[in-house]
Amino acid sequence: MVREILRNLSKDFSVEFRTRFALNVSIAFAVTATVSVSLTAGGVPFPSLVQSILLWMIIFFSAMNGLSHIFVREEDQATALFLRITMSADSIFISKFIYNQSFMMIVLAVVTPLFLFFLQVKVILISYFVLTILSGGLSIAAGATILAAMVAKAGGKGSLFSILSFPLLLPVLWVSIFATKNSLDGARPADYNSLVFLLAFSGFISAISFLLFRFVWIED
Amino acid sequence: MLIRQVIKSFYILMPLAILMAFLWAPSAEILGDFSRIIYFHVPLAWVSVLAFLVSGVLSAAYLFDKKQRYPWLDEKAFNSASIGMAFALLAVITGSLWAKLTWGSFWNWDPRETSIVVILLIYIAYFSLRSALAGNDRRGVIGSSYLILAMMTLPFFVFLAPRIYDSLHPETIINADRTPHLDDRMRMTLLISIFAFTSLYAYILHLMNRALAVAKRLEEEYHAAD
Repeated sequence: MVREILRNLSKDFSVEFRTRFALNVSIAFAVTATVSVSLTAGGVPFPSLVQSILLWMIIFFSAMNGLSHIFVREEDQATALFLRITMSADSIFISKFIYNQSFMMIVLAVVTPLFLFFLQVKVILISYFVLTILSGGLSIAAGATILAAMVAKAGGKGSLFSILSFPLLLPVLWVSIFATKNSLDGARPADYNSLVFLLAFSGFISAISFLLFRFVWIED
Repeated sequence: MLIRQVIKSFYILMPLAILMAFLWAPSAEILGDFSRIIYFHVPLAWVSVLAFLVSGVLSAAYLFDKKQRYPWLDEKAFNSASIGMAFALLAVITGSLWAKLTWGSFWNWDPRETSIVVILLIYIAYFSLRSALAGNDRRGVIGSSYLILAMMTLPFFVFLAPRIYDSLHPETIINADRTPHLDDRMRMTLLISIFAFTSLYAYILHLMNRALAVAKRLEEEYHAAD
């Protein structure tokens, strides 16, 4: 199983980085959105809550531009059937899940510094801020993987992925926005409930997705 | 058999609940007669959550029922989700009216209001997904998988969020002393109303499922005649 996962991961990375289509679209969206907000603001600093909301909206929609691509591409290029007969559903889910997590980390690594630079955001609790961004990104990618598989079966129809993901991932955005605001304000939490929630949500949604994936993937 | 009894009880319970709500139950001290909307708003919200839970359970049954011993479970889950959606909308409307009368505005982004909006968005997304899958033979499986995911996130919105964040809503389910603060007659009326609306839900779901069975049979006969 481990060998299957590694083989599929290596294939996914090779195919994606040959064209870098999904990555380019996500990063282009992130840069455009961040620069547009900064231009519109004209250098006027936003309150920390508005900054947190903008940061998470840009992260979310940048990720939405690319996270579904991993399954949509398999259907578009008609390689899904080949995958289905050569690998177990569990290996496929795990490899796609790891791929999406890696993709999300790249998006976060690009979006966050850009946002901090263009909107002149000052982070007071740096470690808490970084942990919040990482945990929030982890949760978004965890929830989006199974939804990407569903959307691919529906023909990968444009905005359907965002429509499906947004309400289901709203608890993640909700908690991440408030945790980010606290890190910008320097309000150190007595306990790290927000981070615990984000990690627990990732674990929970990953477990449910893993169980459901075989139903979505395997065709009779 | 039990379901038939529940459905039949609707004919008695619903008129009884309406009479009790307007004639028997006392009005609340501060809110006055406005408070009578509780006998409709709370049961509507309860039934919407129940309908969404039933749709999730039917979806899980559909995925595990490989031999299709129980026909059209995915369509029945869709029926239940549709009823849940209608009841949730009515709960939002009655809630908004009540909010206007007590808090002064129709919408306040209270955690419970936010939760119900998110739940509505989740099920709107489900209906969009099903529309996108029209004519696809994987429609049942994918729609059911999404309904299970939706059901799993319901507890966060229904139970957790309103208790984590400060809310304007009275906490009638769990207070610090763990008892609902309602007069006995008010409590009885609310209970009867909850039963009445639950039986209404069972009645509508039963009707929709029967209509579904008829439609499927007609479809089969049409294809057989070809």
